[in-house]
Amino acid sequence: MSFVETRDKGVARFRTRLFTTMMIVVATLTALGFYLAQRKVTADAERNLQQIFQNELSSLHKLEELRHAALADRCNALAAKSRIHAAIEDNAIDLLYPSAKDELRDLMEGEEPPPAQAAQWLHAKFYRFLDSAGAVIKPLNPYDVGELNGDTEAQLALSELPDKQQIGYVLENTQAGDRAIDEVIAVPIFSTDTGEVISALVIGFNPLELENKHTGMQSGIWTHGQLHLPAFPTASQTTLKGKVADALANSDQDENYFRVDAGGAPQLLFYKRLNPGSLFPRAYEICVYPLSYSLEELRRLRWQVGGAGALLLLGGFIASHLIALRFSAPVKKLALDSEENRAKRRRAEAALASTAEELERSTRYSADASHQLKSPVTVLRVGLESLLDREGFRPEIYEELSGLLHQTHRLTGVIEDLLLLSQLDAGHLQIASTPVNLSQLVDEWLDDLGALPDSPDVKIEKEFPPGLFVAGEKRYTSLVVQNLLENARKYNRPGGRIRVSAGANGGGVVLTVGNTGCAIAPGENIFERFHHSSTPSPASGHGIGLNLARELARLHGGDLRLVRSENDWTEFEVRFSGANGVNPVA
Amino acid sequence: MRLRGLLWLNAISSVLPAALLGSATVEGRVELPKSRSAPVQAKRYEIVTKGGVLSTQPPLAVVYLDGAFPRPASLPTKEVRQKDLTFIPALLPIEAGTKVEFPNLDDTYHNIFSYSPAKRFDLGRYRPEERPIPSVIFDKPGLITLRCDIHEHMRGLILVLNTPYFVMTDTAGRFRLDKLPPGHYTLKAWIDSRTTKEKAVDVKNGQTLHVDFP
Repeated sequence: MSFVETRDKGVARFRTRLFTTMMIVVATLTALGFYLAQRKVTADAERNLQQIFQNELSSLHKLEELRHAALADRCNALAAKSRIHAAIEDNAIDLLYPSAKDELRDLMEGEEPPPAQAAQWLHAKFYRFLDSAGAVIKPLNPYDVGELNGDTEAQLALSELPDKQQIGYVLENTQAGDRAIDEVIAVPIFSTDTGEVISALVIGFNPLELENKHTGMQSGIWTHGQLHLPAFPTASQTTLKGKVADALANSDQDENYFRVDAGGAPQLLFYKRLNPGSLFPRAYEICVYPLSYSLEELRRLRWQVGGAGALLLLGGFIASHLIALRFSAPVKKLALDSEENRAKRRRAEAALASTAEELERSTRYSADASHQLKSPVTVLRVGLESLLDREGFRPEIYEELSGLLHQTHRLTGVIEDLLLLSQLDAGHLQIASTPVNLSQLVDEWLDDLGALPDSPDVKIEKEFPPGLFVAGEKRYTSLVVQNLLENARKYNRPGGRIRVSAGANGGGVVLTVGNTGCAIAPGENIFERFHHSSTPSPASGHGIGLNLARELARLHGGDLRLVRSENDWTEFEVRFSGANGVNPVA
Repeated sequence: MRLRGLLWLNAISSVLPAALLGSATVEGRVELPKSRSAPVQAKRYEIVTKGGVLSTQPPLAVVYLDGAFPRPASLPTKEVRQKDLTFIPALLPIEAGTKVEFPNLDDTYHNIFSYSPAKRFDLGRYRPEERPIPSVIFDKPGLITLRCDIHEHMRGLILVLNTPYFVMTDTAGRFRLDKLPPGHYTLKAWIDSRTTKEKAVDVKNGQTLHVDFP
């Protein structure tokens, strides 16, 4: 699989993942929106309807309070009448209704208004007095006080005389076979003498009805276990009746609402006790509001939320596309870059491996070569030495043999240097660091220089304290010193001078070796291995001495450098690590 | 009180037919309900209602000799005045057939009426200068509650009795009935609208019988 394919696949996967995540988020949000909208609509509808119900009820109650207040006044006036008292107290019941007739005439007079006209709220349909036991005092002439059948009249009786106004509702079966509900108000009549309740006047009215402001609202009254909701379809009344009966049986609350399915549509049914604390049987205002309006609103809101969700999803799709593209660019670049980086690293690793291999091979080779070379040179030298020990040759031959022997010594030195170098290169050289007396070492080598047969006539200047110690292995330190001193002698001019100075400097020891003679050409890298001077010189070496000396100096934690080379003066400086606590303070 | 009762008796005896005149006397004491208020020195007393029971305040009783007595041809007219929005006297015992006038001595209208079973009447509204003075003849024994349609609090009682022999006790409950015809009777003590005590008595000429109503 190619890199490009892999990359494209990765980007596609990223995009898919992003889109899926967005889809889930959007779907969750939409569902949440649905849920909340539905809840809100339902709660709002219920709250609104409840508000409407309460408002309508409260306006109804205001009207009722007016009615009651007006009645209370009237009844108080009536109760204060001597004739009423006389009739009740003097056992002249036959005179009770005639006595009250004048007082209540305006209440009863006039045409009975249609029930819709609640404004005629003071028009009474009938009235009755209760005796001291709460039973109805039958009128002699029912025509004057509103005719009632026996069942209805019986409903007016109370178990005891009330001491305050009581509101009740009675069912009246009319002659037409209909059933009507009458609101009755019982007003106590107090004795002016004793303050005791001696009777009660029960006045019947058409019930006040809720104004049908809300479309489809139906109101009615529940009392005596019967539902009176004339506008509601008869078929649904039974269902509704059962539900209301259940609700009232299961709850002591005077006021509540619940959902009900009646008439093939969901409805919200409110009920509220009309006569709390009354001696009359419980009666409830029942209000049924169709929920179709709120359902419609809910449907519309669902569409809105659904549309918004779809739009959000679409937007999410586009956005995810764009974002994926946008994100995939750097991802692509990143993928590309990392691929390039990997290739580069592989190449570098391969190069490194081959270099290391080469290096090892070369190191091994030079070590092998040194060893292979050493044995024949040794054989050669031993042969030359045995020839020199022989007698009987001509003097010229001896001189020649001596020269050859010298060359074998030189060859051995070169081979040893090469061996050392190869060990250094391979990192196999280990040094055992001990304090080395540099002063003594320099002195010994200067003595050796003077003892050499071909030493030119040079003047040696020494400028170093005795007993100057450095840290290092004596053999290699000696090699460095030897190399520098031999060079100073080798490249000197006749009648020149060598100056050797040393001293502690900082934590280390600096040895400076200067000599007269030809300057080294600037730009010439004298520390290069197998270097050969560009200027032909009679005293040329094999070109590894300075290189080896510097390598060794560095191996000892120091360095070797050319300080200056001009005007017949060349000066090298080598730095060694000081042997701790041995050197005197400079 | 006693003086007044005697005056009344004198008045009654003066009109009684001679044949019925007797010389027997009944005296004694009626145990009256305890009055919560201190004894009132004034001669005024009023009608109070307590638990639907009407009585006088301070408590007084009417003691009468029940029996079948021939009704006299004529009886003196009695009077219940309306003064200071009260009935004076507040309790008036009369013999059945007595005519009672209701003069209005106030500066306002009064409308005296009664719904009592013994006598229903309604005098209508009238001013003090109304003439003739509105009156009612009470021909049936029983207790009549007098009311005023205008002044609801006004109460008066007329106790219509079958007998000419009756007397009101003093506030201590003492009474004395004399010039009684001999015979076997029931002596009754009306205490309030619900309570009438009675005792059988044997009245003999020239004797003074002592009867207490505990």
